[in-house]
Amino acid sequence: MIAIKNVSKKYFRETVVSGISLAVRDGTVFGFLGQNGSGKTTTMKMIVGITAPSAGTIEIDGESTGDISIHEKIGYMPEAPYFYDRLTGIEFLRFSGELFRDVTQSDTQYENLLKKVGIYDARNKAIWTYSKGMKQRLGFAQALVNNPKYIFLDEPLDGLDPIGRREIKEIIKTLKAEGKTVFFNSHILYDTEELCDEIGIINEGRLLYHGSVKDFSKGRSLEENFISLVEKHTKI
Amino acid sequence: MRVIFVIAKNTFREAVRDKILYAIVGFAVLFILSSLFIAQLARGDIVPVKSFGLAGIYIFGLIAAIFLGSSIIYKEIERRTLYFILSKPVSRSQIIIGKFFGLLAAVALITITMTIVYECVVFYQSGSFDYVSIIAMIFQIMEEAIFIALLIFLSSIVAPLISTTCAIVIFFVGHITTSALAEAELVGGISYKFIAFVYYVFPNLDKFDLRSFAVHNIPVPRSLGIIAFGYALLYSCALLYCAHLLFKRREL
Repeated sequence: MIAIKNVSKKYFRETVVSGISLAVRDGTVFGFLGQNGSGKTTTMKMIVGITAPSAGTIEIDGESTGDISIHEKIGYMPEAPYFYDRLTGIEFLRFSGELFRDVTQSDTQYENLLKKVGIYDARNKAIWTYSKGMKQRLGFAQALVNNPKYIFLDEPLDGLDPIGRREIKEIIKTLKAEGKTVFFNSHILYDTEELCDEIGIINEGRLLYHGSVKDFSKGRSLEENFISLVEKHTKI
Repeated sequence: MRVIFVIAKNTFREAVRDKILYAIVGFAVLFILSSLFIAQLARGDIVPVKSFGLAGIYIFGLIAAIFLGSSIIYKEIERRTLYFILSKPVSRSQIIIGKFFGLLAAVALITITMTIVYECVVFYQSGSFDYVSIIAMIFQIMEEAIFIALLIFLSSIVAPLISTTCAIVIFFVGHITTSALAEAELVGGISYKFIAFVYYVFPNLDKFDLRSFAVHNIPVPRSLGIIAFGYALLYSCALLYCAHLLFKRREL
């Protein structure tokens, strides 16, 4: 389980995330929704241990994310990922895998992962030759390299064409079927509705809603309810 | 240790695939080869050939270190490639140490390549290899280790341009402090205290300059090597530790 308790984050004097508490059960797909600059990425960075919270605690499987050993169970794809451009796709994946203590993947397994995300044919090309969508897929592949129990994806569908989006959504569904917990950030509500069991809505660093998609929608579209909730809480 | 090795290997691989680095090495090789013309002007005297060649190895080794090291941490933060690494079971200190060894391996490889070209030139001119210059090369690699640690330290706090400028200033100061201290001893007073402060705080890079030994074929005392190695080790460790402290506090 992912347990976030009263988490806040301040950069100098500016509060970016304010007192967020939420719990994500194992095996669920959780969509963390919000407008640009609402605090989604900062929250995710705190969960995966890239930055430390200014206050509050974050635990995964009962262990603090400040402890790097918990990272063995985590897969993370940053938003609009940048890579070591002079490496090839397979080299980058191998590098990512070698950073884990328990990962002893063969090249065939890395290649299968690249097949899964649809960039197998480009495996031996330098990453600087990849398109935005291909980089997004490589970012997704490296998040799965350690067969993680918890997968964190920051805007995973951004920059993908319709076929790419469908493929990534299929992979997320497969991961869910395998019992993985998927936590993703998005501002694209249509995809979220289709994929998520639960959602959290964040606005100006505050959590406005946390619960099931059905309870939130109440017969209306997710987008309509999201807009009206956010507008109600936005400071003018 | 395994994680440090993986990061070092990746840093090395990235560095040696940089096309600009090939241009630097290409210029360096041309520079060293051009000492053949110096030999003609010197009418067979090997000393100018050695001076010219060793100066080339030194300058281009330094340029390569600055080129690769001035943005090494800064670039990772700006381009967010660190996000991939930090979300894995990797600590910030492992990143700093891994980057250091990867970069040192790349710069050492360049220095060794240039030395091989230099040795070929010396052999062509004099019919024998210059063995003292191999010791000078090892000392140069020790100096490069300090310089890379310094660049890593600087690039974890400032942008590449500032980092390069600071590194060049520190490099310059590092080469004049020994003679400046000797002069200041004669003057005494506040000037001496200030120069002494700079002498002890800034890296003393004169310790690693064995080029005049190589040029004049003077045997190098063993004690010099032990002192230089110990100094390079301690100074690099101190700089990397400071880089780690700064990097640990850095918000990403």
